[in-house]
Amino acid sequence: MFLEFLFFEIKLRLKSISTYCFFGLWVLIAFLFEGFSNYTMPPGKMLVDGPFVPQLFDFQLSFFGSIVMAAIFGTAILRDFQRDTYQMIFTKPISKFAYLGGRWAGSLLITLFIFTGTPIGEILGTFTPWVARTRLAPLDFGMLSYHYAVIIAPQVFYLGSIFFLVAALTRRIIVVYLQGVALFAGYLVGLVTVLNARSLNPYWPSVFDPVGMVMLRSIARYWTVSEQNTLWMPFRGMFLWNRVVWCSVGVAALLATYIFFPMSAEALTGRSSKKQKKTEQESTAPPAPRFHNLLPKVVTQFSFGTGLQQFLSLSRIYFQNVFKEIPFWALTGVMAVVALADGHGAVDVGESRVWPVTYLMLQAVEGLATLLPYVVATMYAGELIWRERDTQFEQIHDALPFRGWIDTLSKFSALAAAELFLLTVVLICGLVSQIMAGYFHFELIQYCEELYLIIFSEVMIFALLAFFVQTIVSNKFIGHGIVIGVFLLGVILDTGGLTDRLYMYGDAVPYTYSDMNGYGHFVQPLLWSTLYWLAWAVFLGVLASLLARRGSETGLRTRLRAARQALPAYAVLLALPLLAAIGSGAWYYYNTHVLNPFLTDKDNRDLQADYEKLYKKYERAPIPKITAVDTAVNIYPENRSFDATGTYTAVNESGNPIQDIYVTNGRKSIKEITFDRPATVTLSDSRHGFWIYHLSTPLAPRQSIQIHFQCGYQNPGFRNSNEQAEFAYNGTFFDRDYFPQLGYDPGRELDNPVRRREEKLGRQEELPDRGDPYGMNTDLFGPDSDFVTYHSVVSTSPVQIAISPGDLKREWQANGRRYFEYSMGSTKIQDFFSYLSGNYAIKRDQWHNVKLVIYYLPSHTYDLDKMMGAAKAGLDYYTTNYGPYQFDQFRIIEFPRYRTFAQSFPNTVPYSEAIGFIGRLEHPDDIDFTWFVTAHELAHQWWGHQLVGGYEKGSNMMSESLAEYSALRVMQHKYGDAEMRRFLKHELDGYLRGRASEVRHEPPLVLVQREPYVWYQKGSMAFYALSDAIGEDKLNAALKEFLGQWKLNGPPYPDTRGLVEALRRQTPPDLQYMITDMFETITLYDNKAVSAKVEPTADHKYKVTLIVDARKMRANGEGAETQIPIHDLIEVGVFKGKKDSEQPLHTEKVWITQPRTKFTFIVDQPPTRAAIDPYSKLIDRDPEDNWADVE
Amino acid sequence: MLHHLAVMKGIYKSGERKEIVDALLRQTNLWDARKKALSTYSGGMKQRFGIAQALLANPKLIIVDEPTAGLDPAERNRFLNLLSSLARDVIVILSTHIVEDVRELCPRMAIISNGQLVLEGAPEETLERLRGGIWSTLVHSEEEFAAVSSQFKVVSTKLLGGAHEIRIHSDSAPGDGFRPVEPALEDVYFLTLNSKQVN
Repeated sequence: MFLEFLFFEIKLRLKSISTYCFFGLWVLIAFLFEGFSNYTMPPGKMLVDGPFVPQLFDFQLSFFGSIVMAAIFGTAILRDFQRDTYQMIFTKPISKFAYLGGRWAGSLLITLFIFTGTPIGEILGTFTPWVARTRLAPLDFGMLSYHYAVIIAPQVFYLGSIFFLVAALTRRIIVVYLQGVALFAGYLVGLVTVLNARSLNPYWPSVFDPVGMVMLRSIARYWTVSEQNTLWMPFRGMFLWNRVVWCSVGVAALLATYIFFPMSAEALTGRSSKKQKKTEQESTAPPAPRFHNLLPKVVTQFSFGTGLQQFLSLSRIYFQNVFKEIPFWALTGVMAVVALADGHGAVDVGESRVWPVTYLMLQAVEGLATLLPYVVATMYAGELIWRERDTQFEQIHDALPFRGWIDTLSKFSALAAAELFLLTVVLICGLVSQIMAGYFHFELIQYCEELYLIIFSEVMIFALLAFFVQTIVSNKFIGHGIVIGVFLLGVILDTGGLTDRLYMYGDAVPYTYSDMNGYGHFVQPLLWSTLYWLAWAVFLGVLASLLARRGSETGLRTRLRAARQALPAYAVLLALPLLAAIGSGAWYYYNTHVLNPFLTDKDNRDLQADYEKLYKKYERAPIPKITAVDTAVNIYPENRSFDATGTYTAVNESGNPIQDIYVTNGRKSIKEITFDRPATVTLSDSRHGFWIYHLSTPLAPRQSIQIHFQCGYQNPGFRNSNEQAEFAYNGTFFDRDYFPQLGYDPGRELDNPVRRREEKLGRQEELPDRGDPYGMNTDLFGPDSDFVTYHSVVSTSPVQIAISPGDLKREWQANGRRYFEYSMGSTKIQDFFSYLSGNYAIKRDQWHNVKLVIYYLPSHTYDLDKMMGAAKAGLDYYTTNYGPYQFDQFRIIEFPRYRTFAQSFPNTVPYSEAIGFIGRLEHPDDIDFTWFVTAHELAHQWWGHQLVGGYEKGSNMMSESLAEYSALRVMQHKYGDAEMRRFLKHELDGYLRGRASEVRHEPPLVLVQREPYVWYQKGSMAFYALSDAIGEDKLNAALKEFLGQWKLNGPPYPDTRGLVEALRRQTPPDLQYMITDMFETITLYDNKAVSAKVEPTADHKYKVTLIVDARKMRANGEGAETQIPIHDLIEVGVFKGKKDSEQPLHTEKVWITQPRTKFTFIVDQPPTRAAIDPYSKLIDRDPEDNWADVE
Repeated sequence: MLHHLAVMKGIYKSGERKEIVDALLRQTNLWDARKKALSTYSGGMKQRFGIAQALLANPKLIIVDEPTAGLDPAERNRFLNLLSSLARDVIVILSTHIVEDVRELCPRMAIISNGQLVLEGAPEETLERLRGGIWSTLVHSEEEFAAVSSQFKVVSTKLLGGAHEIRIHSDSAPGDGFRPVEPALEDVYFLTLNSKQVN
């Protein structure tokens, strides 16, 4: 009996086209993902088919596949109820086990079959010619089967069983789907919560993670690339427990199904007959004879007005169909919960806490919540299109005398109303979240623009596609499948670099809202791309109406024939959107392909590669070094453009005559170059931006030359993507990049090894070794200058303020424009300058004789005091410990959040609105990032502007690591050690994750080249740990000595050898190993608190016995580790208080020489926690296990 | 729902719409259930709702196909009642296999077989033509039945208290054991179909 049900289920599924559709979809998605991994994966060393990627992918697809599981497991049990055959079956002597078991097992086998599509697609994907061969490991069937067995199969088992249970108990498919959606939404909320949680031990969330993403993340978080490419996910620890927990849930669900499923027709009909009794109250008495009843006469009329009435009446009905359904409200509820949860999280950006300004709030509430309008569009397009057929009302409905479009339009209107309603709920959730966060600056217009204009259009474009699909297909669920497929395909192709929005259905131009600039220059492209796709969507909608099922002949072919006859009547309706699509498409094309060059990322890489291939040979050719810069820059914010003239004074320092001057025009902004002597152009390559000028009389050694130039930049029309972020209506910020660079610019080279292989470039040339004669004599930040003097006149529109480095000498109005003159006087700076313009409010302050100024958006006042405070604290600390500040002023200028960094130009720090200005300290453990970033950028005025390294390995560390360390110290003096612990953990996490995604090889700190995670996070930790061990004053003395030796000095420039020497001089012999470990090699600890036990002593004190493990490993550049003996000074301690807010009772630094060591301490108060390296000062692979509860 | 369908049928004025909807609801005995959802209606109520919606726009012709199938006797009576009262004003064409319905309801009838019109007329007339030509007997074995059917034209057989009653058509008295019976419309139906098959 069981087998019969099993085989029946399987046979039925195998006959159904949807099984193959799902299977095919799975193969296709996996195939595309791997086959196009060039686009879908970040370029790097990670193997496309190595263990990590397929494993991640298996988890993801199993998760997205819950909809398939719902469809298969759900309908297996619902089939008999949908077809009303349950009475027939349940009155037969069938055992519950056979019935439920057979159906369940059949569904399980079929689903498992469908999910084999994933590994099959993964295998097929590796055969495409587009996958870089170097990123492929040999096919490993064992690995794929292992993943299938431990990831996919259990996932299918327990998720499917849960769906089965829900279907069996509710017997409504919609509830099953809803449960899927709720699971999905709930999970994503949980995921975000877990990911945002600062100090949550990931163990338990991982064990209870039904989908596995959190688990995967916490297991493989710090795996280096070589580990990711070789390690299978170990089937033990949290992974094993996770599987055990969830498979038990699956078994429990099955048991519950077996126990609670009412397997009898009486039990099932009993309930519904009660309902019938209520309505069927008609008398059974014989009817009275009835004779002639005259019906009132009515007039029928078919005019436009009738059509309108019909439309309204139908819309009302469909509207009720949607809004009276409990599932719709359940969906709304789910969405509101998600939106509120996300809205609550809007104040957390990364690790910092901010004010929930409207764009952040919208971003948060939209993030996941707007997935649901898409779900609603998909689901209800199907429900509405199939409404009459599902309710068997089609014979009456289809015979009604209305025009075809009225029905389609009504259905569409009902859906549109539902979507507007949902978006309004999102809006309300956003406002509520803002209120709850104590933010009362409501920007309703921005909410409306975003939700009702942008999101609503996008959802409707999608909904019309769904309408069309549902009209074409022969089954609602196939329709759903196709629509979801299109959605996923869009996402995949979009990440895949197919970016021309003229081909990507419904793909509007990506945009960024900025408080400074509103939607700014994105309005045009957004408008036109949306109009374009809206027109296509309407076209599809009209087609859907034309092909709508009506009457009993519903074969597609019949409908096509009928449509052909109806075509003339629809001609106008079809032609209008078509014309609109062509019109807007043409305008879009004109702007994105004609007015602006249409360059894909690949095109840009080709250009970069060609530049390197063609002109790398000139890299070390002697060039004159710029010694003075004088510019006149006119910024036109209203056109997002500028033009400029200027003069470089350059000196031939090379010792030989220079006859050829090379100019790189990286931004294609240079219009003209002339010299103070005759010169001819011998090479002019505007495509790659390189010119060679031949001087008729060579520039003799020590002789100087004047180079005059004109440059500028226009932004005509709009672009498909990559709008120039530098130019904005409010908040222009561009830098030296737009001005001529002399010589070859190695900064333009492609640095990713995969991309380089694609372009057939060899390995990128590394930075010169320390001590290389060319490198020592070349400024790290640019080969065409050493230190320069600087003068500039900047003009902008009369309502804006223009800023450039230097002291403001003069300000005046002329020609309806506003002019500012800036000069550095005789102070030398790096040849590194910027121009900014915006409608700013100004805050001024003073530190001794240094003027402090912040230029900010008037509404962004939250962080100004912190910025001023950090600037003063920084100036105090740096002048005391390192030496005097070289300028008379320090400025911070806000710029739009299209770019999210702050950057230190001489006395001028452009600071993105995304990383400062809206920061907020609410809880005692919030990290003050504004304070930190401000201190960091200020520190660059010493490290980077006073101390400049040579163009050699390691030199970057002398600006970035030192700025980071300096800022850490300023933080520590302000906030104390407790905050340092959080911050150091944040730095450690950044470092470990950075090395986990290394694409080349990881260098030691003193040889860092292009690895930000080394020069920022590792650098700050290394300096901090060293200063902690040898003393802050000793370390600062070393820095002061080194800076004093090299201040504003070069060429030749210093390199890290000198710095390490200075450090070693201040470090006692027994701690010299720290410099070796942290600066000169890659060394990691694996410290662990094994146990901590307490016993009261006779004199009412507490004796704590702490056992710790300590291991030290040395890693190579690939991440492979070998253990080395330990003989290190490490801090251990005993604490009171709760986890993450411990107070020290006793800490001391001890020499640890054994893998396992036991300590005993006597403390006065009852201890709760004990730890090794409690403040995360060392680089530890797993800082979480450094702590143990005291027992 | 009826209001909605009235709109859909192009009844333009809301006053008229209300009038006819109310009238129809009363006429189809759905007035009390007018606020209920369609999906909770019983089979008969659904049938009557169908009629109500069909009558919305004063149709001149109504075709009903097997309207009483599956209805209980009370529902069936109510439905036929409704149909007959309608028939005063509009042409109702009732298509059915239940011969009794025709007898009870229809002033004129036609029999169509395999797309061919084989008989047309008022039920009473056709019955009149058979009057005196239908005889009935009881048979108890295969042999008896064979004997009867070889001699006479058998119209129908049916069970009557366990024995088989055979009705035959004969213009003259068939002899012993046969008694004359009133012709029923069913006889007309079977005879017409059979004679057509013979042809």
